[in-house]
Amino acid sequence: MLTEGQKKLLEELKNNLAKSVPEAKISQSDYVLTGYHLEFSSSKVGMRRVAKEMRSRRFNLETVTAVDFIDSFEIVYLYFNYNQDNIRVMVRIRVPKDEPPFTVSAVYSEAIWLEREVYDFFGIQFKEHPDLRRILNPDDADYFPLLKNFGKTTITGEIDDMLC
Amino acid sequence: MLTMKTIDDININERLYQLNLGPQHPSTHGVLHFLLTLDGEVVVKAEMLIGYTHRGHEKMAENRIYEQFYPNSARMDYLSGMIFNTGYCEAVEKLCGIEVPKRARYIRVITSELNRVASHLLGVMDFVMGIGAYTPFLYGWDDREIILDLLETITGSRLTYNYSRFGGVRVDIDQTFCDSARRFIDRMRERFKLYNDLITGNIIFIKRTVGVGVISKDVALDYGVTGPTLRGSGVNYDVRKSEPYSSYEDFNFEIPTKEEGDCMARYLVRLAEIEQSLRIIEQAMNNLPDGPIRADVPCFITPPAGDCYHSFESARGAVGYYIVSDGTRIPYRLKVRAPSFSNLFVMSKIIPGHFVADLVAIFGSIDVTVPEIDR
Amino acid sequence: MNMTQLPIIKDIYGFLGPDLLVGVVGLLLVLIFVPLNSAFLVWVERKVAGHIQLRPGPMEVGPHGILQSLIDAVKLMCKEMITPDLADKPLFWMAPCIVVIPAIVCFVVIPFSPVMQIRELNVGILLIFAFSSISGLSIMMGGWASNNKYSLIGAVRAVAQSIAYEIPLLLSTMSVIIMSNSFKMSQIVSDQSTVWNFILQPVAAIIFIICSTAETNRAPFDLVEAESELVSGFHTEYTGMRDALFFMAEYTAMFIASSMAVVLFFGGWHGPFFSGIVWFVLKAYFLVFVTVWIRWTFPRLRFDQLMNFAWKVLIPISLLNLLVTAIVIKVL
Repeated sequence: MLTEGQKKLLEELKNNLAKSVPEAKISQSDYVLTGYHLEFSSSKVGMRRVAKEMRSRRFNLETVTAVDFIDSFEIVYLYFNYNQDNIRVMVRIRVPKDEPPFTVSAVYSEAIWLEREVYDFFGIQFKEHPDLRRILNPDDADYFPLLKNFGKTTITGEIDDMLC
Repeated sequence: MLTMKTIDDININERLYQLNLGPQHPSTHGVLHFLLTLDGEVVVKAEMLIGYTHRGHEKMAENRIYEQFYPNSARMDYLSGMIFNTGYCEAVEKLCGIEVPKRARYIRVITSELNRVASHLLGVMDFVMGIGAYTPFLYGWDDREIILDLLETITGSRLTYNYSRFGGVRVDIDQTFCDSARRFIDRMRERFKLYNDLITGNIIFIKRTVGVGVISKDVALDYGVTGPTLRGSGVNYDVRKSEPYSSYEDFNFEIPTKEEGDCMARYLVRLAEIEQSLRIIEQAMNNLPDGPIRADVPCFITPPAGDCYHSFESARGAVGYYIVSDGTRIPYRLKVRAPSFSNLFVMSKIIPGHFVADLVAIFGSIDVTVPEIDR
Repeated sequence: MNMTQLPIIKDIYGFLGPDLLVGVVGLLLVLIFVPLNSAFLVWVERKVAGHIQLRPGPMEVGPHGILQSLIDAVKLMCKEMITPDLADKPLFWMAPCIVVIPAIVCFVVIPFSPVMQIRELNVGILLIFAFSSISGLSIMMGGWASNNKYSLIGAVRAVAQSIAYEIPLLLSTMSVIIMSNSFKMSQIVSDQSTVWNFILQPVAAIIFIICSTAETNRAPFDLVEAESELVSGFHTEYTGMRDALFFMAEYTAMFIASSMAVVLFFGGWHGPFFSGIVWFVLKAYFLVFVTVWIRWTFPRLRFDQLMNFAWKVLIPISLLNLLVTAIVIKVL
């Protein structure tokens, strides 16, 4: 159940985010089932404006990650605040594969490493990133492991058939 | 071919030189590689090179069914494997909407907290060993050994537990387990006096830790620091309180915080957290409800399409599992938010200006596990 | 029967003269004693550490593992001695040889009992100080020649540390020498037949023990080989018997430092019931035990704190102590 403070904060956030990124779709989601209160989805733009808004409200950037949807990437940012009224905001930004997103590392230093990781696994070249190199994979690797076309074993398909 | 620089080649007018601390080094527990630029013994720039133990757990998850990922979860952070294991199960339960019986949730709390005590003991004592006191390390090891033995009786393994199941736990705990746990709690409470005499009150330890490696609140927010490291900087944030999972809302415990943000503060926060964990275990055992230990869950689960994020507090900070499901038996994407990853990155900000010896102390006080960073 | 009556001994005696004979026999005894002593001290260290840490320590070889160090020595002798490619080879080879010189020479002047002293020197104490400085040289050589940054940092620390701590060490010794009016070790011991210098000079005694711990690179001042920072410091690249020589020198230096403390402050061979040598060795080993005890209890200082402690605390106090001693001696 949401407390009064949380409800108030949610309303404020919704309005402010809608004001700063008018093209985005913002909706409330069921915390019990999904683990986040507010869902923000847009296409191509808005990640830096959201980050600035969140930083001004002292939200903590929990993680940056990406999901490979074959035709496009979905960059996922999760924000959470330390204060009493805990709100988790899920920011999804769809970007086409040939048009990389902007970095948020100017707003949150943590994102320097988090985006390096995303680059390392998906090959997403964040624009204006200060230090975009491999981080976990070898420096001379020529693959991006978490892309869907990389390393899907046939054994898994067999296991799946066996179980079904 | 690599051209190696000998000492003769170094220009004497070059003030700065580079030092590779790791990947094999006694105090970078695990395989972490610091590339330090030093001026004498003062660190000017520190870069962390990670990935030496990268095993690709996230990719592995995309190649196997949900049940097959149980053992992987504990192998990310081998020091608090039980917490990671439980957290994974809870994330999938959230995705599927499975209701877990009360008794199973209490057992999860008990085992997780025992695991947290073990992990904190190791973290604190490793830190003290980095400063040069070897004996307290083995004292802590001695206490930790009891927990490992205790958990071995119900899980069968000592570090990489595979105990939680979707909808419950694998084995019920019995009276013998509770009695041994109570004996351990009594013993541990007496040992705090010893630790305070041996470590906390030691003048050299105080000189080495107070005011060293200060992480301010703003830096902590900027770098996404969580866990005892964050609470040592005076932020009262603990996932167990802010978003109670398992059944943490039933228990009465405090979040110890310190304002200083230095190595000593982080050390004291960890010790205080051990005390709070003991309190939680005691309450959970006193109020342990009867009932089944596992909900009626099909052998192989198929979550509905969608996604969920589950956050929980490991011994090192807020962990998160972000699972995207496309409605099949195999996760479409599984992302782990590793707290050590962010906690380690903050070192590049705070280390410059400290001595190499301080680097070891700060690294020990932040207490990261390398396999968790590398995943 | 007088030993000098035997024909063979008589011949050697006639050939070498009394001084040289004592020298040769003494040197042989020292050469036997030094390795055995360090083997024993390694065992003591491991045993004491074990019991402090609630574990038994070595137990397998011999009763309570007493032969463990001998077995270890055999193992170390069999090991390959690796020389790094880019090392300065002559220096790398010489450093472990040089490090044992002070360990052997310093025994020449230590008076174990009124008669058991190889050579009585007017400047015995100065000889020990002069030769123990050589170990600093060999550490520097080893650290430099290894061509390893950890070794180099360890070596640089060693030099800075030994310079800083030799000053209060000498100053605290001076206050005893002013009282005895002699550099002769046997003279200093005989002066303590009624009251030990420890009671007359407690400040100097404590400073001496602290500084000798630092001089022998023992915890909490073991920054030269600080394991958690510098891997092994100056002997990171040494293997096999070369490494063992450094260890031998370290443990012998510990024994010599304790012997010095016994001579200067704890009454040397004086004591009831037993003969002088027993008392001397007992006192020396007790002081060694104290250093081992300290090592396994305390954390390590940081380098700047170590230097501050020497220059800002120990040197002023020892100077003041020397001044007070001089004034008191003059007035009385």
